[in-house]
Order: sequence, then C-alpha cells, then structure tokens
Amino acid sequence: MELKWNYRTNVWPDWCPGCGNYGILTAVYKALEELQLDPSQTVIVSGIGCSSKIPHFVNVNGVHTLHGRAIPFATGIKIANPSLNVIVHGGDGDLLGIGAGHFVALGRRNLDIVVILHDNGVYGLTKGQASPTLPLGVRTKALPKPNVQQAVNPVLLALASGYTFVARSYAFDTPHLKNIIVQAIRHRGSALIDVLQPCVVFNDVFTAEYYRKVTYKLESDPSWDPYVRNPEEADEKRLKAMELALKLENKIPIGVFYANPYVPTFEDRLAESLKIYPQYNPANSPIERGKKPLMDKETLERVFSEFIVEVKE
Amino acid sequence: MSALDEICLIIGGPQGSGLETSMSILGYAFARKGYWFIADREYFSNITGRHSYIHLCVSTLPVSSLRYPVDILAAADAETIFTHFDELSIGGVLIYDKGVLGKKLEDIPSIEDTTRERIAGKIKELGIQPTVSSIVNHLESSMSVKAVGVDYQVLLRGLAAKYTIDPKLLSRYVSGIIVAMISLVLGLRKEVSQDAVSRFFRGRPIIAEQNNALIDSIYEMYSELAGIVSLDTPTARPGKLMVVTGNDIVAIGKIVAGVRLQSYYPITPAADESFLLEKYQVIEADESVIGPIIVFQTEDEIAAVSSIIGASLTGARSSTSTSGPGFDLMVEGLSYAGMNEAPIVITYYQRGGPSTGQPTRGSQSDLLNAVFAGHGEFARVVLSSGDHVEAFYDTIDAFNIAEKYQVPVIHILDKFLANSLVTITPPDPGRAEIERGLLSSGGPNYKRFDSSKLISPRAFLGAKDTVMWYSGDEHNEYGHIEEDPVNRIKMYSKRIEKLELIRKELPLEKKITLQGHDNPDFILVGWGSTKGVSLDAIRALGKEGMRGAYVNLKLLWPFPGEEFRSILERFDKEKIIFVEHSYGVSLRHLVAMSTGLIIEKNIAKFTGRPLTREEVVAGVKKIIMGETLRMVAFHGA
Repeated sequence: MELKWNYRTNVWPDWCPGCGNYGILTAVYKALEELQLDPSQTVIVSGIGCSSKIPHFVNVNGVHTLHGRAIPFATGIKIANPSLNVIVHGGDGDLLGIGAGHFVALGRRNLDIVVILHDNGVYGLTKGQASPTLPLGVRTKALPKPNVQQAVNPVLLALASGYTFVARSYAFDTPHLKNIIVQAIRHRGSALIDVLQPCVVFNDVFTAEYYRKVTYKLESDPSWDPYVRNPEEADEKRLKAMELALKLENKIPIGVFYANPYVPTFEDRLAESLKIYPQYNPANSPIERGKKPLMDKETLERVFSEFIVEVKE
Repeated sequence: MSALDEICLIIGGPQGSGLETSMSILGYAFARKGYWFIADREYFSNITGRHSYIHLCVSTLPVSSLRYPVDILAAADAETIFTHFDELSIGGVLIYDKGVLGKKLEDIPSIEDTTRERIAGKIKELGIQPTVSSIVNHLESSMSVKAVGVDYQVLLRGLAAKYTIDPKLLSRYVSGIIVAMISLVLGLRKEVSQDAVSRFFRGRPIIAEQNNALIDSIYEMYSELAGIVSLDTPTARPGKLMVVTGNDIVAIGKIVAGVRLQSYYPITPAADESFLLEKYQVIEADESVIGPIIVFQTEDEIAAVSSIIGASLTGARSSTSTSGPGFDLMVEGLSYAGMNEAPIVITYYQRGGPSTGQPTRGSQSDLLNAVFAGHGEFARVVLSSGDHVEAFYDTIDAFNIAEKYQVPVIHILDKFLANSLVTITPPDPGRAEIERGLLSSGGPNYKRFDSSKLISPRAFLGAKDTVMWYSGDEHNEYGHIEEDPVNRIKMYSKRIEKLELIRKELPLEKKITLQGHDNPDFILVGWGSTKGVSLDAIRALGKEGMRGAYVNLKLLWPFPGEEFRSILERFDKEKIIFVEHSYGVSLRHLVAMSTGLIIEKNIAKFTGRPLTREEVVAGVKKIIMGETLRMVAFHGA
C-alpha cells in the first residue's frame, strides 16, 4: 500500500534505549498511517517530560506546551478550529499530578480530543521521583524511601470525570495500542488511553517483564462488551467498566473499558446555542473588511442600543 | 437656591437592596436630559446585607471624577447615615427613612468594629448621641441640612396592598423610593424618571409599573421639594450618549476588534466583561454575521491563558480577562506566549492586593507585576487606559499590537474603571484599523520562526499542506528543540529585539500624552484611572490661578523613556508630582529605571477607594507649597 504521507520527522528521539516511549511512538505512526490523517489538519499537543517530546518526532503539527497544561492548550485549539484532529500526549506526573484539574475538566466537556497517557509510575526526566500512579509503599530505584502517597487510578478517574472512551494498553504491544489509538481517534468525544509504559532507567518494579506477566487482553473475553449500543445501556456499562478498573491485583486488563458515542460533544453543546458553529468558528470567521472592523458607528449604536440614550428635552 | 453646574450624591444601603438599579435608572434619566455623570460603586465582597454605596457626580459638562462633600445623601438604611453623615455639604439634602430614627449605632451588626469605633469617636466629638435621630438633628441644626424623612414602610405597604407583592421582596422597592426622591429633589420631570424606570425594567412591565407608581405617590406627597437642588441646563447637548461601565466598553471594544475566543475564570472585577460578551456571541450586522464569539469558562486561570494561546495559534483573536490573583496564575502561560511569539491579550483589572486583599476595591498596585512577571526575558506589551473612551480604542490596539508584533499584550485597567458607570459619546469603530501583521499561507518546509526577519510570517495551525511546531523550550526556526549556543543567541535576540521595534513604531499618542498648560506651575504624572481626577483637579486649581498639566502614560512597557524625558525636561523637575492608587507609586520606579529621573513627589491612595478631586487639589497645594513631598489620601467609606 502506498502511503500518501510520511509521518516521521528527522528529529532524533533522545529517549533511553529500551524506553516504552519508542513502542508508543511506533503505534502512533502506525495509527496515523492506517487513518491517513492529513498532517496539516492534525495537531499533537504535549506537556513536559520525556513523553511530551513526542510531537517533535511526528510529522504533523506539534505544540509542546507547559507542564500539566497540554489539555487546556488542546482545548483552545479544538474549540477555535473544530475541524482539526487533536491528540494530547503527556506523562502520568504531567496529566494526573500538576494537570489533574485539567484532566477532570476535559471529561466534564467531552470535547472531541484524544489523550494518550504515558503511564510509567515515575517522573523520568527529573530522575525518578514517584508519580501519581505509583502505588503506596512501592520503592523504585531512585527513591530513598518507599512511596508514602497512594496511586490515583487513571481509568477510574476518567470514567468518573465523564470521558466517553476509556481504554488501557501496553507500550510494547504495538498492534494492540495502535488499534486502540485508531478507535480513540475515530470516537467522537473525550478519549483516554492509559498506556502502561516501562521506564527502563528509573522504574525497576513495573518493568517490561512484569507487564508481560500480568497484562491480559479484554478482547480475549467474549463476554466483555464495552460498547454502548443505545443510550439506555450507558450507565450499566460505565458501572461495569468502573468495577473492572478497580481490579489491578496481579492481573491487569488491557483493552477498551467503555465507549459511548451518544453523549453530546462540547462542540455539539456549543452549536446548541450558536447555530452557525462549528461551520463558522473562531479560526475561520472573518474579523475585518478591508482592514476595517466589521462594525461601523451606526451598527455599533444599533447593536448596543441597550447602552445608548437619545438626548431629548 | 440657584442652579448648580454639578451635583454629587451618595446613595447607600445594604448590598442586595437595588442600589445598582438606582444608579442605572438615574443614569438613564441624567443622560436623557443631556447631563454627564460618573458613578462609582463601592461594595464589600458579599452578596447580601453589607453596606454598599454609589458615589455619583452629575454635571452640565463632561465630568470624570468624584468629590466630597456631597450635596445629597440618600439612605436606604441607618448604617448609611452613620457611615456617611459627615460627608454631606453644608446646606445639603438628606433623604432618609423615618422608620430608622430610633436606631442606635450598636444596633447595627453589619458595621465592622473598627468602623464602629471610628464613627463613635466622631459622634462623641460632636457631643451628640449615637442614634439616627440625634445625627439628623445635628445635621439640621449645625449644617443647615434639609433632612427629608420619608416613611419607607408606609409607602411599601401601600404598594404591597395595591400589587400583592411578596413581603420578602418589598425591600427591593426601597431603590424605587430613592430614585423617586432624588429625581424630585433635582427637579427632574416625573416622565423623565418614569421613562428611565421603564427602560431599565424593559421586559418586566409589572415591576416597571410598580416602581412608577412609587414615583407617582412621591411626586404627589412631596411636591414642595421639587427642584430644591437643581442642575443648570446642560451646556452643549450631544445627540446621543452612551451609558457604560468599564467592563461594558472593553467587551464592546473586543467585539469590534474581532475577538473570537474569550476564556475566563470568574473573578471580581473582571467577570462582567465576559458576561457581556456572552450576550453578543453572534451579531447580525449589515451584510454579515459577526461571530461566533466563543466565551469559555475554564476550570482555572491557568487553563484560561493556556486555551487562548492554543486558540491564537489557529489564527483566532483570543483574550482573557482577570484580576491580580488570576494573573498570578497565568504567568507561566505569559512566559510561554513570549517564547512562542503567540499573540494573546490579557485584560488585567487591578483590585486591592496583596493576596485576595480587597476583592471588590480598586488599586493600581500591580504595575510592576504586569511589566515584570514571568521568568526569562521576552517581549511583552503593557498598555493602560485613562478612561472609558480610551479603553475602547486601546482594546482594539491591544489585539493589533499582539498580532502585528506576535507578542502577549497586557491591557492593564482597574476596578475603578471596571465598575464605574459613566456617560461617553459613542465611540467610532471607523477610527480603528484591524491590523493582523505578517501572515503566511505556509506550505511545504514552512518555518514558523523564520529568523531572516524580526517578525516571522505567521501561518495558522490547520493551514493547507503546512506543518509547524511550537515549544516552550528554546527552539530552531522550525520550532524543534535546539540548545545550540549560536541558535540560542539568534532566537533569543529575535524575540527581545521586537521590543525596540514596538517602541519605535507606535505613535506618540499611544505612548504618552500631555494635556494642560504650556507653562505649568505643577505637572501631575499618572497612568490609567488617575487621569480623570487629575484633569478635573487641574481645572479646579486653574480657577484658583494655579496652572497645571497632566502627563498620561499609556504605554507602560516597552517604557517610552525617551519620550518621557523629552516631554518633562522642558519643565522644572521640582514641579512634577506622581499620582497613583498604590502605596509605592510604582510608576516612579519605571521612570527611574528607564530615564534615570528620580522624582519623589507624589499623591498616593491605597484604601481601595478612588482618589477624589478635592484630595488631589489639596495634595497639589501641600506639595507645591513645600509642606510635604508626599500626600497620602484616604477619604471615602
């Protein structure tokens, strides 16, 4: 099959050899190839950290932002130009530590963007501190003492916040991750993919070997059906997904937990009150006519008549 | 009593009793007659019950400042009388509720202890009792005040009987009584205030009718008071006046400027601006539709600034509005916008700090914060506006400068402007241009940060066949991270040198203006909301034979040091007095830094209440006489 686009840049990825991010990057390339997304109409928005360098390696628009802030940057981009495909990448420290408020707020909006969480349990780029997904009592290589804070559950938090596509995958199972990314991009609404990602240098507890042993695929269970097929079954399916999200002991399920296409996206909600949106949106609606404002004095006085007082005797 | 060319009044009462409504209705009535006015709203960070008041001056000529003492004090409750009784001028008019005559100072729980003690001290000094009746007697006997006692309860009960109004809602009609009494005393024709009532309650005809019924009864019952404090006829009648707050006019300016996304997190005194924008998201203009303007309430100010940076990269004119505490949270975004040459506008309404400070009061104490906040060195522009009209045009300029030079612009205003209701002649969008700066349609191999020019042609995210990168890290022309020292020098310099270009290209009148006498005895220097009060004080001092001039600093960063010097070196440095609503008078520091001029004389106020005309007059006199180098003002409850 001949590919129209080349999604690789010639920027050298400077991740450590054996890093899980390579697996994620490969899956991203393959997903983009499968979907044939136009690079000029696609934006990868990232935060700060090892994972967040990813936009520089992908030949689509890239916005490498501030620590924890990828979601609000992406939100502004998507609201202003809803025709863009917007994909957020960030680490667990980025999205669930400093950016936790934004992570929750995105679910409340169900804006049509994808969040890919590189979940390695540590802050890699600052040399291995405990991240919000490292369980209580665990002591990874760089920690002087066992972790005194407990882990947040990304899948459960996403379900509770209102994400309408929630999945987990594994960085070195490229075909599995690629399929999930493709589904997430096709889904209309906020999507979270929690990607288990070994950090070869700082996380000597949750290693590739460990994940190979404990992960199992939800697809292999014929009775598991996370797809909401009519709005009535949404609550029940979300509850089941939450129950499953709590099961992390010795067996970690990967796959789709919940997918509900029936919730209006944020764009739909804006269009409710603004009929011309998204056809006309902040990025494409004119603001001038021959370098002059679209409003002259007369129009201003008419439009803002609530503030105008005619002087009379 | 002969007709006056200006009347000032205070309307006070508990928060939630409709004072703002009184202000708007009276405002419409004054404007309709061709009078000019300015009204400041003072209120606590509270929804119901705390003391709030309107301080308003109405004039036959354009007026842009307030003064004490006032000619009329209208009190919705006893607390207003205790709080403001000594602000009435000799021979002024007190409008009060007969029902509170027996109230004692200690009966009023909403007065803060410090305030209560101070009031008790004043009352003691006068040798009177701490009761409303004793104060009213004192005002009548020692101050020749005309005290007009109205039985609010009787009027309200009459209204309730006629219209079956829920007793819980009756207190709201006190504002109707006050409007009626003030218009009567000022000699406004009944129809004028009734029209204003109907206009205000458009869409709520019953409420309009009820308030107008109150006006009817009051005009009938108190007809002997008609016109006891009357205004002269207006000098020149404009055909139309606009009655707006600062929040209103900035929102209107943003719409004219072409804002397409406004993100905000609720904060006083900025949120009303976003509220107004939300009312006008899609506008049917002559042949076109303006909009949509997306107004986006975010989860915090960090998300507000981040989302507008994102939107600006798609080519949408984007802004946010906030106050000090919110701006503090936005600073990392500001630094990012500087690094990535993203055109954003932050409208910054200062309030009293530090910390939450005085959430509902005004200040100008954040100048250095706006100019210097953010780590690293990058170009930013800080603009201020001296009044509502300037604020309209400056809002449009802010977006033009942001896009033309690809920099974040901070439009620094304050609560005094945000919440004060004024008359202006409607602004003319035709006087403004929309300048989008250097744009590119992109294409293969597009370099967002092309360094062959100081300003790189900007393509938007989503441009056909174009891919670009942005990074908060130091980057190369493509936007990819690059730490090479030679690249660092090139990119770093490019970003900062834009400041010099802005300083060079902006016209003088956008930077600094000089008004007043050519050969002045004193020169006041200020920025933002000190303009109106300084000019009015200069006019007042002119009547006493003192010639004054005012220097209005509009561009605060990059600081127009050379222009400042060339304007001020014509004058004797000893005649220069800075005016600012702050403790430190920070403009002095910017001036010293940029020009080497150390100027000590200043008039300062940091109570959160606006400087008033007589305060500036007194300050100028004291300083010019050599009595002091600094005058700290504190008038106003």
